[in-house]
Amino acid sequence: MSTLGRILLVEDDPNDVELTLAALTDYNLANEVVTARDGQQALDYLYCRGEFNKRSTDNPAVMLLDLKLPKIGGLEILQQIKSDERLRMIPVVVLTSSHEEKDMMRSYSLGVNAYVVKPVDFHEFVNAVKELGVFWAVINEPPPGSVTK
Amino acid sequence: MAYWNPEFQRLHAPILRYGFAVASVAVALGVAFALDQYQFRDVELPVLTVAIALTTWYAGAGPSVLAVLLSSALFDYFFTEPFYSFDIVSRDIPYFLIFIAWAGIVASFSAVRRRIEDSLRQARDYLQAEVEQRRLREIEIRKLNQELGKRAAELEATNKELESFAYSVSHDLRAPLRHMVGYSELLQRQASSSLDEKSQRFIRTILDSAKRMGNLIDDLLAFSRIGRTETRTTQVDLKQLVDEVVAEIGQDANGRDIAWKIGALPVCYGDRSMLRLVVVNLVSNALKFTRMRKPAEIEIGCVDLDKKEVEVFVRDNGAGFDMQYENKLFGVFQRLHLPEQFEGTGIGLATVQRIIHRHGGKVRGEGAVDGGATFYFSLPKAQSALENMADTP
Repeated sequence: MSTLGRILLVEDDPNDVELTLAALTDYNLANEVVTARDGQQALDYLYCRGEFNKRSTDNPAVMLLDLKLPKIGGLEILQQIKSDERLRMIPVVVLTSSHEEKDMMRSYSLGVNAYVVKPVDFHEFVNAVKELGVFWAVINEPPPGSVTK
Repeated sequence: MAYWNPEFQRLHAPILRYGFAVASVAVALGVAFALDQYQFRDVELPVLTVAIALTTWYAGAGPSVLAVLLSSALFDYFFTEPFYSFDIVSRDIPYFLIFIAWAGIVASFSAVRRRIEDSLRQARDYLQAEVEQRRLREIEIRKLNQELGKRAAELEATNKELESFAYSVSHDLRAPLRHMVGYSELLQRQASSSLDEKSQRFIRTILDSAKRMGNLIDDLLAFSRIGRTETRTTQVDLKQLVDEVVAEIGQDANGRDIAWKIGALPVCYGDRSMLRLVVVNLVSNALKFTRMRKPAEIEIGCVDLDKKEVEVFVRDNGAGFDMQYENKLFGVFQRLHLPEQFEGTGIGLATVQRIIHRHGGKVRGEGAVDGGATFYFSLPKAQSALENMADTP
């Protein structure tokens, strides 16, 4: 529990962002969260371009990815980074409202590391986000070259 | 080609047919005389035979007999000694008999041939009619098929629409709900000290309503899924299924005094997970509506209806219902009790009915206010199950 990995949160809904951050704040995990509001921004961050061209080139320790996104959808992002030599090592967790089997199948076949359906109940949602944060940012050893503090 | 000439084939009027016999014999006689005139010998016999053959061919059996008799008489009269008399000298008798026999054989060969051809023609006509009919039927089938294809495409489109509808419901309605619940909880946490009791109750109501809406959406989605998913039919041991459900649901009611009575249950054909949903719904209903009873009595058993069907029932001694609202029992979102008496979305029995209908069975309920309720569902037995399943949409 010594290091805290950086979390890249890709989520378009500001309320979901706030609630996710609120959940992570409860467990002191919110400091190392970067939020991207659409697919374009997420890719800009990962490739260190546009507004992110100044950042260090380290990968986040985990990416929490929504599937329904403006501009570039979650599955497209997934496909792109899993076919990129440098980015494919980033653990990706899909965090979505979709129960649909086809979304699940597609995500797993693209090599997603986990698929989490956002619970409607707030307590369950907080718990899910907390456990995701604790596991991926604290317990899991991220691949070499990830941002940690 | 004369065979195909319909004019010849249709010598149906008797007068024409017999006239044809007389005429052909007369013509033959004329030809015979003419040839005789030119000193040809013994030509009358073959020429008359040809006339007989033609008559048989075109006019049938009766006229051919006439032609044979007529030509025998004429042959006797004109060409055998003594000429121009019907008398026959004895040395001509064999010659004459052979002529008659010969004419008879030719006539009968022709008649047989004709009969065969007649039946062949009949067979051909019959076949043509058959082919025509089949062609018409094929056109009709093709038309029906096209219509069916169109209908199937429409249905598929509707189904797709429904699916995307369900998808967007599950997707897009959930997010705002989560936010309502989330922010209400944050507000509750943040401002609990500064809010008075009334405001706190308002927040609790918002939370409860949002959660209730979540449950409604989930139930509705599950309900619509029952109609869309395909049934996977296997042998289902109802006894085992009921035991399993009772064990699972009974755990939630641990503190309560419940007298379970589970009778012998048959093995049925059906979709196990769907039938499980039926049992879960009925048993949890029974548990819910007997909450105030000590002890609660819940009985599950079956009645053998006939060779084809078996009826399973779940009986309780709970709140029951008024039989005059029986028709509303199985409706979607229909409830016969106030929410503060018994919670629920009102979709459980609708689900039960939908599943049982898909299995080709029936559902019904019996009850009395405060006198408990019994719910019955019928299922086809093993043999008749597969046929019935094919009939139901």
